[in-house]
Amino acid sequence: MEKISRYLLVFIAILTLAIILPKLYWMAFEKPIRKPFILYSCINDDFMIHRISEKTWEDTKGQQYTREEYEQKLPMMFEKQLITAGSMPDSIKGIALDMRTISKAKSFFRLKANEIDAPFPELYPLFESQSGRAKLDLPDDFFRITWRIEFIDAATNKALEEKSQLFSAALFQKGFSFPAKAISGLATPRKSVDEGYLIIDSKDQLFHLKMIKEFPYVKQIDVPEGLKFRYISCVDFKNKDFYAYLFSDKNEIYILTQDDYQLIKWPVVGFDASNCDLKIFGDLFNYTVIIEAEDHIKAIALSPDYQVVNTYTETWKLKEEQTEGKIFASLFPAQVSMTSDNSKFIRFYFTFSEGFNWLIVNLLFVLLHLVLLFRQRANYRNHAADLAIIAASGIFGFVAVNFFPNKFFD
Amino acid sequence: MWKSIVYKEWLKIRWFLIGYTLLGILGIGYLFLTVKHGFAFSGGKNIWNSILFMGHQFFSPLKYVPLVGGLTIAIAQYFPETVNKRIKLTFHLPIGENKALLMMHAFGAVSLMLSFLLFIGMFTGFSLVYFPVQMVTDSIISILPWFFAGFAAYFLIALIVLEPEWKFRFCYSVVGGFFLTIYLNSPFTGAYGPANTGLFVLAAFLSIALLFSAYRFRKGEM
Amino acid sequence: MNNVIECNNLTHYYGKKQVYENLNFQVSEGSILGLLGKNGTGKTTTINILNGFLQPRSGECLIFGENTQHLSPRTKARIGFLIEGHIQYSFMNIRQIEKFYSGFYPNWKPAPFWELMSKLNVTPTQKISTMSCGQRSQVALGLILAQDPDLLILDDFSMGLDPGYRRLFIDYLREYAKAENKTIFTTSHIIQDMERLIDDLLIIDFDGVLAQTSVNEFMGSFKRFDFVPENDKTDLKKAPFVVNLDKVKNKVELYTYSSESIVKKYLDDNNITVSNFAQVKMGLEDAFIGLTGKY
Repeated sequence: MEKISRYLLVFIAILTLAIILPKLYWMAFEKPIRKPFILYSCINDDFMIHRISEKTWEDTKGQQYTREEYEQKLPMMFEKQLITAGSMPDSIKGIALDMRTISKAKSFFRLKANEIDAPFPELYPLFESQSGRAKLDLPDDFFRITWRIEFIDAATNKALEEKSQLFSAALFQKGFSFPAKAISGLATPRKSVDEGYLIIDSKDQLFHLKMIKEFPYVKQIDVPEGLKFRYISCVDFKNKDFYAYLFSDKNEIYILTQDDYQLIKWPVVGFDASNCDLKIFGDLFNYTVIIEAEDHIKAIALSPDYQVVNTYTETWKLKEEQTEGKIFASLFPAQVSMTSDNSKFIRFYFTFSEGFNWLIVNLLFVLLHLVLLFRQRANYRNHAADLAIIAASGIFGFVAVNFFPNKFFD
Repeated sequence: MWKSIVYKEWLKIRWFLIGYTLLGILGIGYLFLTVKHGFAFSGGKNIWNSILFMGHQFFSPLKYVPLVGGLTIAIAQYFPETVNKRIKLTFHLPIGENKALLMMHAFGAVSLMLSFLLFIGMFTGFSLVYFPVQMVTDSIISILPWFFAGFAAYFLIALIVLEPEWKFRFCYSVVGGFFLTIYLNSPFTGAYGPANTGLFVLAAFLSIALLFSAYRFRKGEM
Repeated sequence: MNNVIECNNLTHYYGKKQVYENLNFQVSEGSILGLLGKNGTGKTTTINILNGFLQPRSGECLIFGENTQHLSPRTKARIGFLIEGHIQYSFMNIRQIEKFYSGFYPNWKPAPFWELMSKLNVTPTQKISTMSCGQRSQVALGLILAQDPDLLILDDFSMGLDPGYRRLFIDYLREYAKAENKTIFTTSHIIQDMERLIDDLLIIDFDGVLAQTSVNEFMGSFKRFDFVPENDKTDLKKAPFVVNLDKVKNKVELYTYSSESIVKKYLDDNNITVSNFAQVKMGLEDAFIGLTGKY
């Protein structure tokens, strides 16, 4: 029993050390990787790169710009600054510019990997889409979709039977298969208008649900055979071109057009929702898609009809490839973390070190332990298991077996 | 025999257990008083909205309550055993040393568990008055690791208190302290869902940890 | 007679400091044995090994034939153990502690416990922690008597007791042990006490056992001669019969197991003239100091 308790303690210590020591190491030695800030210039038809820490502004050919020149190349982004400075062109590419047109076409979207792998709420407020009021009001009840759709009054915590039945029937009639797999919408009254929710049912069918004058509006959206969405992010852009960005399980990006419900696939490759952050800048002339992965950034400029007009990729060394990372990979055979940049969930995230340098260091720790045993005149046979633990887990095991010493155990 | 052990442990921890449980009950009562107040003044829908979409965690004041319980019961139970090395009396009883220790430990852990179950029961009951079951489930997923941490702390304190050498008490405290932090991240509501089973198993691993330091004591390490 | 305790070739070190090497001793059934030794010679170490709280570097101790490292519950029930300082569960009162221990011993005899308790000026609900040292010693003793063990191991029972309580403790214990044929293994740093209690003694020093014999035999054979040497040339310490020699001013105190005639013959043979030659009667404490030296 005592032996078992010791091995369990050694195991816990190894796990704890594999969480703490790498964390402390990186806190001490990690150098920040400053990702460039990339936008697409409708003047140059080239990407403009702002390196924030170096305070440089350049294009993809290496041409350097001053900050003012840089801003002039990006009139859709810095329109207010240019108007203030009096350097705003009247028209670009034959299109007359006014503030209203510019601002209506402007959109910004951002999605982090950890927003997709995250706990989601299971209750949502369904706004009145046509209340006739200027501002949206947070409703008194929230809905959930289980074996039916249920509206629960927040004040009493009781289901509103009539409303629940009405909406359940409407969904059922349109072929909705309960329960819902995913519900996405903008669950906030701070939006220009309410467009309800996009809901994926248990058979991966896509529905649009709104409440209009207290009655349900349900629309099943045609989805091509075999297309499954991993994540849907509704948007509230001024141009009202589309309801949402939709991300398929094959990492394709779709948009769902407003009113006619067309799913349009963007010709964007290189996005992986599980580990990339995504930014999409929309303006009068382009959509600029920025995919930020751990070791590279990819920029794709699309025309207003969503065709690729230009791409740019920049890579850098991962922290693992830098000197500190190589030392890390020698010192520590693995790292465990409870959190991840790519998820909001707490898990045991294991990362095993690249290469086999750590094996050498592990063996050095085995030797060190042998020296300690020799000095204690210990019987080596009693310590075989400890030595094996150190050989496998290196510094973690070495500290663990010495913190919980193998004394008196024969 | 087990009756006598339970009797002795009960004498040691009773006032601490009762006091802690009462304080916990008052704490949970107060927590839901603030919820009730919030419902009355801000309106239920705004409270729900802030919990669902703005990351508000109404249960966050409970975070260290189980940890304090584990520490309290463990200290009440094991500190008197190490004053003057009184644990020798236990080892001298006509019963296997490990068996005696595990009986003591089981009694402490069960007492703590009853207290925790009462808290979780109260929490669930009150929550269900104000929130739908989905929100309650997410809240419970979030508070469970704190309760596991309470057990882990109880087990670790027993290990540390019974260890005869100060040097190793320090080592255990370092590992134990860092270990507990994995239960006490401050994440989004429901984020602990995938980890809870593993965290429970790890806490369970520690349940016999005291046998290790007690063994070292019995072998005369000092 | 059977040996209740048997220790063979005990060797122990704390770190690199040797406590003793190859210590051997036995305690036979029904005897009361006192383990005497100066501070640091390993008395507590021995007690700890006997109770299984210490694993010796090598060697073993057997109690009732069982290795003390792995005593079975049945054997532990036959051993009464008094911890140095009469340590007990001081958060209990005497009623609680009696109730606690009674659950462990099938032969529990509460009568002697309550008999002792009735002599103390304590209430049944008074916590042991609020009692005096002497009262606590009676509680600890009472519990051991109620346990009715075959072997009693007492670690420094006189610690913290005033003379009255010491006397009470010793007399009660001896009477009990003799009446019930119990074996006692005890240490005490007050050797006067031991004289009233023990039959046999085991004296250990830094280099091992100095004496293991009955008290009577030891007191009969170990002698002290005082004299004043006139011509102080020969180093008497080299004489084969001298166990210890102490000089106070001119006077020599010579400790030996040999007879007066042998000592005198040696003095004559070596032409040492002495005056005021006399044998001095010793108590156990004097004999102990004579044997082990003052330092």
